[in-house]
Amino acid sequence: MFAQFFGSYLLNEGIVTAPQLAKALEDKKNTKTRLGVLAINAGYMTAGQVEFIHQVQSTVDKRIGDIAVEMGFITSEQVDELLSKQPQDYLILGQTLVNNNVLTNAQFEKALNDYKSFNALSESDMSGDKTDKLEKIIADFYKINGHEDAGEYVTYLTLLFKNLIRFVGDDFTPMTASIIDGANYENMVRQKVNSETVDSCTAVCCDTDVYIKFAERFSEEKLDTADDFVNATVGEFLNLHNGLFIVNQSNEFGKEMTLEPQEFVYSTEVKYDKAAVDVPVAYSFGTVHFILSNV
Amino acid sequence: MTINEVTVMVCDDSMFARKKLTNYILSLGVKACYEAEDGEKAVDNYKEYKPNIVFMDIVMPKKTGIDAVKEIIGFDPDAKIVMASSVGTQNHLKDAINAGAFEFLQKPISNEQVQKLIETVAEGE
Repeated sequence: MFAQFFGSYLLNEGIVTAPQLAKALEDKKNTKTRLGVLAINAGYMTAGQVEFIHQVQSTVDKRIGDIAVEMGFITSEQVDELLSKQPQDYLILGQTLVNNNVLTNAQFEKALNDYKSFNALSESDMSGDKTDKLEKIIADFYKINGHEDAGEYVTYLTLLFKNLIRFVGDDFTPMTASIIDGANYENMVRQKVNSETVDSCTAVCCDTDVYIKFAERFSEEKLDTADDFVNATVGEFLNLHNGLFIVNQSNEFGKEMTLEPQEFVYSTEVKYDKAAVDVPVAYSFGTVHFILSNV
Repeated sequence: MTINEVTVMVCDDSMFARKKLTNYILSLGVKACYEAEDGEKAVDNYKEYKPNIVFMDIVMPKKTGIDAVKEIIGFDPDAKIVMASSVGTQNHLKDAINAGAFEFLQKPISNEQVQKLIETVAEGE
């Protein structure tokens, strides 16, 4: 999931444009990471060394790894180690941006190092699915530290992004959240999550064309009109995600919560008495908004 | 009983969830698969069709899945009911077992789990 937040960082820093990022997210499923990007990420080679080897390779018929070892930039053990590991998704995104000529190796190296130091992450932190590190990135990204319900919001959002990747697709970029006191979307599916201490309202909102596309992804069916089936599909995504959230809360913290049946609201202003957070997620097919609020 | 003699009922307020589960169950070659969109309809349909196995959601309008299980078990103590819900919290698990459900599936439900349960019920009948 680091790819999505790395993408968001590149966008917010002005290193890539939104169309470049959207294209890379779309293209990355066909990308294979190459030794240069892997070596830069591991700190085994600099971008300058990688560029140099690429130039050498254009004149001789040898593999990149062999040239790098001959030049003494890297050992053959390091090459084997890099090539044997499953590449992380943020590296695949980086490789795609390099392949698409959006970033040079040097720009990729700088952006990656800046991102890691900005978030105080090491390379091993970013490999695998380290929930504590993800939660920290998410808390920093949404600036929700210090809020009285910060812990729950962070847990909720971390699980949301995992579920989006699992059930809808990984081609999205998390966008900056905003505090709202009302919302008016073409389509809104909402569900109350009740606990002993507080009742919360969760919602998925978007324009109709995005709503249909979201339902298509989750149902794995071809859909063309926003009918009851599309409502039921988006509603079931929210129900599934909220369900997994309250099961985790029950198992990990012994907190018992319940869900209410979903409600559907179309093109109508919904007012929030207490501050609500609107978390936009930009998919390649359009932006989906997730709203969280206490009731 | 062979699998093509088994009758099943799927209760879920989500048309999407019902369709997905029903389509898979029908693909196994069962005799019939009935549907219900809320707890009330689930009780009515059970009384009418007496299916061999029921898959029951919990969060539903009109009557929750837990209340529907209690009523069905009151009517037929041998009813085979599987909770198939997104909310497998410890309280819900307890409530479901106390109500008389014999198994609890947390959504997302895998097809293999569903097939196994239908086969188990078929063997037992």
